[in-house]
Amino acid sequence: MAIQNNTGLRSFRDIFFIAAGFLVIMPILGLNRTTDFIIFSIFVMGFNILYGFMGRLSFGHMLYLGCGAYGMTLFTEHVSRNPFLAVIAGVCAGVLIGTILGPIVVRTTGACFALINLAFNQIGYFLVVVAFSKYTGGEDGMSVSFSKFGFIDFSNKPFKFGFVLLCLLLTYYLLRKFISSPYGVLIKSIKENETRVKFLGYNTFVYKWITFIISTALSAFAGALSMLNYGYVTPSFIDPSRAVEVIFAALIGGAGSLYGAIIGGVIYMAISNYLASYIPRWEMFLGFTLLIVVFRFRTGVWGYVSDKLKGRTKAVPVRTL
Amino acid sequence: MEKRNIIETKGVTIQFNGLVAVNDVNFSMKEGEAVGIIGSNGAGKTTFFNLLTGMFPPTSGTVFCDGKDITRVHPHKRVMMGMVRTFQLVSVFDSLTVVDNLILSVTRFREKQISKGGFFFADAHHPSVLKTCEEALATMGIEDKANFMTSELSYGDKRKLEIAVALSLKPRILLLDEPFAGLGDFEIEEVSSIIRRVKESFSFIIIEHKISRIVDLVQRLSVMHEGRLIAEGVPAEVLSNPLVREVYWGKEEGLVCSV
Repeated sequence: MAIQNNTGLRSFRDIFFIAAGFLVIMPILGLNRTTDFIIFSIFVMGFNILYGFMGRLSFGHMLYLGCGAYGMTLFTEHVSRNPFLAVIAGVCAGVLIGTILGPIVVRTTGACFALINLAFNQIGYFLVVVAFSKYTGGEDGMSVSFSKFGFIDFSNKPFKFGFVLLCLLLTYYLLRKFISSPYGVLIKSIKENETRVKFLGYNTFVYKWITFIISTALSAFAGALSMLNYGYVTPSFIDPSRAVEVIFAALIGGAGSLYGAIIGGVIYMAISNYLASYIPRWEMFLGFTLLIVVFRFRTGVWGYVSDKLKGRTKAVPVRTL
Repeated sequence: MEKRNIIETKGVTIQFNGLVAVNDVNFSMKEGEAVGIIGSNGAGKTTFFNLLTGMFPPTSGTVFCDGKDITRVHPHKRVMMGMVRTFQLVSVFDSLTVVDNLILSVTRFREKQISKGGFFFADAHHPSVLKTCEEALATMGIEDKANFMTSELSYGDKRKLEIAVALSLKPRILLLDEPFAGLGDFEIEEVSSIIRRVKESFSFIIIEHKISRIVDLVQRLSVMHEGRLIAEGVPAEVLSNPLVREVYWGKEEGLVCSV
């Protein structure tokens, strides 16, 4: 019997590699930027479970990021300044919006799915900037502050970095569990042929809804962590025109792989952070990068690398049971 | 003792933009029976299957399973009632490995095998699940391809995999939609001998358009023509029915020998 069964070991090995990777690039990029990169990677992972694994492309994921950011900010403003509770509140905001919008959104596929998310994002943007500007600070946004207790101090940069890295590893572990469970097989099957999955006795609607909630919750988690990092929320956190960032990142890294999401997040952030200081219109370069990725590396950077690695192992004789 | 009807339809009709694809079909089969549905292309056989399995609801008429009205029941619930189907165009998940194709159907009915963690957290490749998958593949004789990507399989192997998936859903009624389409003679022989081997444990309906391939598999034949069920009965009787001969082979008597 040689069907691979090493998921447990593998996820610990991966966690070690991811932590080591970020610890290596941390001195190069600086604490602030690395923290930022990590948070964005969590967002890409949240997006990727929907797009890469279940095959539903959303143009409106900024809404869910924004929900986390605003949910957390409003929580600290009105309820409690405990940073942990506030992050949980942000995630709950994401779960809530996923639960409410899910039944409408997941009925659709393809372009309709992408645009219906965008439509909700536009509505959310309007609500934040205009309709509820009294509570959200409108265009100006509002600042967030947290209480400190003992060594838990989110104005301390290394602590923040450590906490965010831990969050990334936790997210990775959780998603790795999901992906290697029967549920993971189910969403990959839905990506390929949803009708067939129904005829295997599964209510696909419910599972699509659950996947959507996982995705919105993780996006909101990233939004809430951004608040820990910046301490200031502005409408740019919910701006629908920024939705393309996460799509680019997922494509560059390789949709349909957890590693790919993290690598894509880091590459995208590196391009947008560093290139912008040298080339005024750096978006053009991003466009070229995407063209190259789409034509040359169909499965993204990570997909290409892992294919190469697998190519090497292909020389090993075919396993038998 | 009279066995009860496991499937029954009454006046089932479906129209697509004025085209009546299935027209007033009254069909029934008893538990443990093996029925073949034959008919030319476009006779409405597959559409009738889609109505039985709930792909879409009929325009009018009722479908019963075990005497219960299931006309508006969702496909996934029908699967849980034991109604399992395969598709005319072989339908497996090309982007998964052969084993992963079986995991969903294997875990559906053996929830105890998903150890701790349940559906969301348990390891899909748990040894006990893999063992069941392996057995299912061994029934079809493709256990040596368990780790292959499904897209690398030949069409015949994909068909066998699809049947393995269907069998691991523990069907009470298995609906096979042209299982021999696109297979070579040798593979047809393999697949039909597998069906012959396992068919005792459930009722099944098989669609085919070459009569010769199923005549020894089924106890009863139904003939569809232009959406209607025009004849029913034991194979020999149906095949000698003049109406069937006329619609199936045309009026030229000479073609009958192609059976």
